[in-house]
Amino acid sequence: MAMKPEDALQAIAAARGDAVCVPTMTTSPAWRTIAPDDLSVGCVGFMGGASSLGLGLALARPDRRVLVFDGDGSLLMQLGSLATVAGAAPRNLVHFLFKNGVYHTSGAQEIPGGGGVDFVQMAKGAGYRAAYAIGELSELERRLPSLLSAEGPILVELHTGLAEKTPMTAGMGTPFSQQVERLRAQLIGA
Amino acid sequence: MPESIPAPLIIDTLKDTFRDARAALAAEGVRPRHEHLGWILSVPDTHQKTVLAALDKERALRVLTCSTEDEANAVAAGLWMGGEPFVLMIQHAGLYASINTLRGVAMDGRVPIFYMIGLLSREKDKDPRESRHSMVRYCEPLLDVFGVPHARLEGPDDVHLIPEYYRLAQKRRGPAVVLVGLETS
Repeated sequence: MAMKPEDALQAIAAARGDAVCVPTMTTSPAWRTIAPDDLSVGCVGFMGGASSLGLGLALARPDRRVLVFDGDGSLLMQLGSLATVAGAAPRNLVHFLFKNGVYHTSGAQEIPGGGGVDFVQMAKGAGYRAAYAIGELSELERRLPSLLSAEGPILVELHTGLAEKTPMTAGMGTPFSQQVERLRAQLIGA
Repeated sequence: MPESIPAPLIIDTLKDTFRDARAALAAEGVRPRHEHLGWILSVPDTHQKTVLAALDKERALRVLTCSTEDEANAVAAGLWMGGEPFVLMIQHAGLYASINTLRGVAMDGRVPIFYMIGLLSREKDKDPRESRHSMVRYCEPLLDVFGVPHARLEGPDDVHLIPEYYRLAQKRRGPAVVLVGLETS
């Protein structure tokens, strides 16, 4: 059975340390409940931008680990970002891909290619240092310490079911501008 | 009549702009974490190709080539939060392609993004708004619709607009644009 995205996020939250996190779409409502802190910024209002947002943070702050919580439909919107991330080669970036095969927020329509799109092969082909697929929560929990300390960029494709909440059912949360302001204040002061 | 701007002049102006930006960041308490002065986020623009070629030899400016202008805008937001100065160098077609991200990041997100946008195919003897090429003709009206301040670099005497519009982006916490009128030399 596919893991619940909320459980995967809980596991990541427990292991992240002081990593900066970039959720998007259906990972956003759960993440702001699990980790309501100042070290996260949601990609809101420009779908597909999470990996690039994370890349900018990772390049600006090489002393910090940056974790992106992307979606499969989101990544397809800016698939070229795989090559951009790989080309920039940020050692501190871990790109989690929550793969559920649908555009959950807009009504769970199947993404192009459905669940058969192999993002691990795509990331490897683009030049990521490593890419893995993980289907079980126990395996994720076991591998997280090494995933979060390994040299990036790494893509981790997580095979998940649907989230309990989406930005449409739970609201968009704090406006993007306020999230940007808050995280910037945290980072430049640290 | 517009004139072409030499690439070294643009690069020297960008360096000065970034030096000032670093000083402003230092005044905010931002500790520099890199040796370079700033980032050029580029989706290669034919119009500014001599600048991009010259940047290949520059160590003080770090170029990040992005696959799309959408990405460049989002990378810019991450750099902004991390306290790094940057400029986006793109083409007008890229502006059209990425207008939602400009809206979402630079406008709604209040990220101060300074853009240098090349007006590829702009005719030397025509005002861009009267160009026979729609991609040239619609550029300024599009920026006007979104309320994005813009100015034209029409020759070497206009390079002062680069630091001015960079600072304008910072001051208004949003997008500001200079349009590169002719191909750089």
